Amino acid sequence: MTDVGQASWPVHLPAGDRPAGDRPGGLSYVELHARSAFSFLEGACVPEDLAGACANLDMPAMALLDRNGVYGAPRFHMAAKKAGVRAHIGSEITCDNGRTYPLLAASREGYRNLCRLVTRMKLRAPKGEGAASLDELAEFSRGLICLTAHPDERLLDIFGRHALCAEIQRHHKREEEAHNQAVIQRARRLGIPIVATNNPAYAVPAQRELLDVFTCIRNKVTLATAGRLLEGNSERHVKSAAEMARLFADLPEAIANTSEISARLDFTLADLGYEFPRYPVPEGQTQMSLLRTLADEGARRRYRPYHERARCQIERELALIEKLHLAGYFLIVWDIVRFCKEHNILAQGRGSAANSAVCYALEITAVDPVGMDLLFERFLSEERGEWPDIDLDLPSGDKREQAIQYVYQRFGKLGAAMTANVITYRGRSAAREVGKALGFEVTSLEKLSSLARTWEWKDPTDTTERQFREAGFDLGNPRVSKFCELYRMAQDLPRHLGQHSGGMVVCQGALDSVVPLEPATMPGRVVVQWDKEDCADLGIIKVDLLGLGMMAVLEECLKLCPDVDLAQLPPDDPAVFAALQKADTVGMFQVESRAQMSCLPRLKPARFYDIVVQVAIIRPGPIVGKMVHPYLNRRQGREKVDCLHPSLEPVLQRTLGVPLFQEQLLKMAMIAAGFSGGEAEELRRAMGFKRSEQRMADIEIKLRAGMTRNGIGGKAQDDIVRSITSFALYGFPESHAASFALIAYASAYLKCHYLAEFTCALLNNQPMGFYSPAILIKDAQRHGLRVLPVDVTCSEWECTVGRDRCLRLGLRYARGLREEAARVILRARAVRPFTSVDDLAVRVRELRKDELNRLAEIGALNTLEKQHRRDALWQTQRAILPVGPLLAPLEETGEPSPLVPMSTEERLWADYRGTGLTVGKHPMAWRRIEMNALGVVPAMHLARIPNGRVVRIAGSVVVRQRPGTAKGFVFLSMEDETGMMNAIVNPATFEHFKFEVLGEPYLIIDGILQNQDGVISVKAGRVAALRAGAAPESHDFH
Amino acid sequence: MFACLHGTGNLTGLAMEFSPTVEATAHDTVTFDVSGLDRIFGLPLDVAVAAAIARRARECGVKANLALAGNPDAAICAARGFSGVSLIPHGDEGKFLARLPLTLLSPTPQLLETLERWGIRRFHEMAALPPLGIAERLGGEGLRLRELARGEGDRKLLPLADALHFEDAIELDYPVELLEPLAFLLARLINGLAMRLATRGLATDELRLRLKLETGGTHERCLRLPVPSLDAKAFLKLMQLDLEAHSPAGPIVHLWMGVNPVKPQAAQSGLFVPVAPEPVKLELTLARIQAFVGEGRVGTPELLDTHRPDAFRILPWGRPVAALQRQAPSTRLALRLFRPRRAARVAIAGSQPSFVMADGVRGKVLELAGPWRTSGDWWTPDPWHRDEWDIALSDGALYRIYCEPAGWFVEGSYD
Repeated sequence: MTDVGQASWPVHLPAGDRPAGDRPGGLSYVELHARSAFSFLEGACVPEDLAGACANLDMPAMALLDRNGVYGAPRFHMAAKKAGVRAHIGSEITCDNGRTYPLLAASREGYRNLCRLVTRMKLRAPKGEGAASLDELAEFSRGLICLTAHPDERLLDIFGRHALCAEIQRHHKREEEAHNQAVIQRARRLGIPIVATNNPAYAVPAQRELLDVFTCIRNKVTLATAGRLLEGNSERHVKSAAEMARLFADLPEAIANTSEISARLDFTLADLGYEFPRYPVPEGQTQMSLLRTLADEGARRRYRPYHERARCQIERELALIEKLHLAGYFLIVWDIVRFCKEHNILAQGRGSAANSAVCYALEITAVDPVGMDLLFERFLSEERGEWPDIDLDLPSGDKREQAIQYVYQRFGKLGAAMTANVITYRGRSAAREVGKALGFEVTSLEKLSSLARTWEWKDPTDTTERQFREAGFDLGNPRVSKFCELYRMAQDLPRHLGQHSGGMVVCQGALDSVVPLEPATMPGRVVVQWDKEDCADLGIIKVDLLGLGMMAVLEECLKLCPDVDLAQLPPDDPAVFAALQKADTVGMFQVESRAQMSCLPRLKPARFYDIVVQVAIIRPGPIVGKMVHPYLNRRQGREKVDCLHPSLEPVLQRTLGVPLFQEQLLKMAMIAAGFSGGEAEELRRAMGFKRSEQRMADIEIKLRAGMTRNGIGGKAQDDIVRSITSFALYGFPESHAASFALIAYASAYLKCHYLAEFTCALLNNQPMGFYSPAILIKDAQRHGLRVLPVDVTCSEWECTVGRDRCLRLGLRYARGLREEAARVILRARAVRPFTSVDDLAVRVRELRKDELNRLAEIGALNTLEKQHRRDALWQTQRAILPVGPLLAPLEETGEPSPLVPMSTEERLWADYRGTGLTVGKHPMAWRRIEMNALGVVPAMHLARIPNGRVVRIAGSVVVRQRPGTAKGFVFLSMEDETGMMNAIVNPATFEHFKFEVLGEPYLIIDGILQNQDGVISVKAGRVAALRAGAAPESHDFH
Repeated sequence: MFACLHGTGNLTGLAMEFSPTVEATAHDTVTFDVSGLDRIFGLPLDVAVAAAIARRARECGVKANLALAGNPDAAICAARGFSGVSLIPHGDEGKFLARLPLTLLSPTPQLLETLERWGIRRFHEMAALPPLGIAERLGGEGLRLRELARGEGDRKLLPLADALHFEDAIELDYPVELLEPLAFLLARLINGLAMRLATRGLATDELRLRLKLETGGTHERCLRLPVPSLDAKAFLKLMQLDLEAHSPAGPIVHLWMGVNPVKPQAAQSGLFVPVAPEPVKLELTLARIQAFVGEGRVGTPELLDTHRPDAFRILPWGRPVAALQRQAPSTRLALRLFRPRRAARVAIAGSQPSFVMADGVRGKVLELAGPWRTSGDWWTPDPWHRDEWDIALSDGALYRIYCEPAGWFVEGSYD
């Protein structure tokens, strides 16, 4: 007698009638009801896994039916296309009768109906909910095929015999079979076909465990308490035709029908029917003619004189735009920019759009691509077959929202929407949720999620095993190893749908017939179910309306300085370049970071193009590609300019032979290897974020072959390949760098000439940039700005600039003070000034106890009491005590405050606790005598000390960084009353003084001074904490 | 005159040696009244008493600060704030305590925050604040704090009350080996304790027995009752049954018994509600059954919420069982489970069972349905995976068989 290994087919069969062979006679099966992780916690694999499983099992097609949406459809479509599988699209629709109906899109009309149905049910319900009624199913039923496990007359009326199928599934469950028999009987009675599906929720059986974990997360239970919510077995994977045929050996027609239905499903996402909106033009005009007129008028304004080169370029671009039918797109972006201008919203195009002279003429971008010799193909090329990408930078906050709402209003609620941002399980979130499902207790969960570090740089010895061991977990423990396995499986699986920060898609007619729309968490916003990559893959045009803090600063600054015109700034202001060369750039856009500051004195920008280079050079691409030092050396004349090959000189000469920009990369490929513009762009994309080894290898072969054909070989060929491949990943488009450089220049100009206004605008638009308000204020004070503290008798809500060009901090800097309470203060003050704390408390009833105390503590009530902060605190404590209405108006009549004034240290504590900054002396100034005794060198004196000397520095830590590109080095920016200083901590020293480096607000560091080319830093040898004192919060990037 | 001990060790015991008026101020602080002790220890009172207490503390292994003052709060503050022995002269309390931090007085967090903001951190700073100003700003709590900071507290102690203990012990002259003579001794203990409980109008829901054995070890048992009772006879019988099931490992030389005093439960039966057995009697019956069938085999079965076949557990009788919503079984046949399951040998043809042989079961498979597959608990050390078949055998009966990693089994037969 033999034992059985695995056996299948859960059907009643006489013992002699079983099929003998493994795969019965050539039956083909198509899975018509698959589900991916885009069913959010109801599926456990990505669409690509499903497409891959199809290909492995020789399944000709598959239908992806995620829950209440087509979230995963684009990825499934693309993956299936690659795998040679037909991707059918549909969705499982939840109905208000508690059932779900799998609907398949048979035609484009069906797909449109599906999208509209989903949109309708989603938009009327809170995020993540919604159900359709049977009447709505009837309304949108055309072109859809419904599979149902509950066939009845009502559904038959809705879909008709041709589009209603009875669905049966066999997962080796006893209770399923009785239901199946009932469905078969009902189907026979109704005369509708029976279809077999397996309803896979994962591609392979091993993923069932992850589905169980997701089930726990969805139901907020642990695996131990989930009970029968979990899967009963692991049968919901993609099954082969042979397996399905064996399962349905008694119902071969159920298998055969799957192929028949698949053949009837004409629709794929390639046939989406998306059309970019047409711009309404005056009678007698076409979109193209209008664009021509606008471009011509704009060019005449921009180019004075309108020279031949510009005219040719614009003509060339317009011809291509006409050929690609893109006039409408340009007009619509122009329209948005025009709206912004009319409403005083600063808007500037960024990214590759700045390569276009038409964009420049239409005032979408601010950089002249002709003057800067920028490559148009980077923006638009005929071969690429994809839509151009125009990103607009707008001031962050209300102004950007105004622009977004304009687009909604222009195209209608169902004609425009934000793109989605798919939030996936990563690092901490995966660790926390998987750990919770496995039932780890809170302390272990914290430890586990902290293991998934967010440190940019990862130690090569930092293996998962080591991390677990260090945290006290034994990988030999089955629960811990299971955690590890599931944690890895959950990585990158979708978790929920968010909203992209600024990407908007618009459509001619109704966008809801192209992709379902749903409400965003933010009121007044609608999002599509696809993210920006999905939209790009399917050829849907997107306009990015991005919020940029610095744009808001510039806008506010311009309001404060009406005589400044950004378009008319002197291009070569000596004060700006002097500040840049000294790296005196705190608060300036893009050039303020520690890395930028350490590069500026070497690069010594002397003209605008140098700023463009500066913006682009401190990027992971050039740093990883080891291009920063060669460029700086060449600029300083220490190294010979080498353009890799004479033919590349025109391309690389301007950056001294070092490729810095994406445009240069494209041109290099075009010149050296004879690539067309489209091929070069393909190269850039191949090396982009989603790198594929295979794709890169293919392109490298092509690149080398091209160069060999052009007679470039040997070392030159290797050098070119290396510089292209190492750089392509993070490269910056030159046009983008130029757009950013313009903003950087403007911010530098304003800082140098309108310090009070610029600082005021910066402070009113926090949080933004690299430094906290405390640092910005200290820097401004060192530049001679007088900063006045918050004062309830004269501060506004925002910071303001007084007539004597002093900066007065706004009430917004009193932490914990609500804006509505502050506004009431302002209104009451406008009626008549406050006379005392009691008067304030009585007249501004909205002020809470903590708010009043806060104002007193930070000295904002000092003027009222004409004494010190503690006097005010003494009075506020009485004022806030509830007394009856009868006694409320009575003012203090007793003795003066018995409290002693705050000491310096106490004032600093109160300042930092209450406002996050101090306008008084820097905390280090109070300790200077002590520091002198310790031999500490102030920041401003470091420049006088020769390179290589051992020095001791001390200050408050402003920024801690451990960049991914720096191999474990930690960079500290510190500040004392005389300025900023930098320290570099190598990995060994860091390991030794880890807690000091990471946790202490004040450090004293001994080390060797590096003073090269005006860049000063201290190589830390010993790090110690300074006695605790009040300190601003540091910005930590680790 | 009051003394305060602040530290570790048996502080209450030490204080009780000196005074009948002892207050357990906190888990690490006791305060007691030492007035009048001069008649025992001589004068000056504070020095003599402090020396006596300190000496006795050393002897008892108590590690604590000691303070003597004219009022209990000043003594408490000094004991908490100063190490060693502090003697506070009468009238100088404020001066003595001046440098102590205010946190010693454990003000509310809100009050502490206000004082911190005011820069008031020590007793003397608080003491110097004007009372009217404090009353206006901090109310009664502020005033009390000021009073304490000035060492002017004046209150009565809250003396400790004796706790009620219901326990008794018997030291035996000679070891007892048999349960029967032990029962007499137990009866003595139980009756005595039941009587004491009854006189106070109390009952018990827990009996604890500790037996010292001749071999040097101890044997401990604890009986928990579903409802409080005073039925001494039932207690004795329960204890006997329990000791029969868990006999001590050697002759007994000492018995100790303690009971948990609780209020008796009074319940009125409904006129139309069937009379349930008396809870203690029922407990007795269940204990008798358990003695017969074994521990853990008496109680109410509870179905577990899992796909694992035939998963249940036994709960102690009387505990509410969670009602599980189960789908109505698709089969109309009743399955009679074999307990224990029967190991089988199964012949396979075309990957399905064709012949089954087990204890009392033998035949050719004529018809079958399956496999019905379940698996789960994959995250535990005890995962399961099984394939089941419903089969019609040539012996004319219908069976459920299954296959799992441990082999083939016949699970039961269908009626």
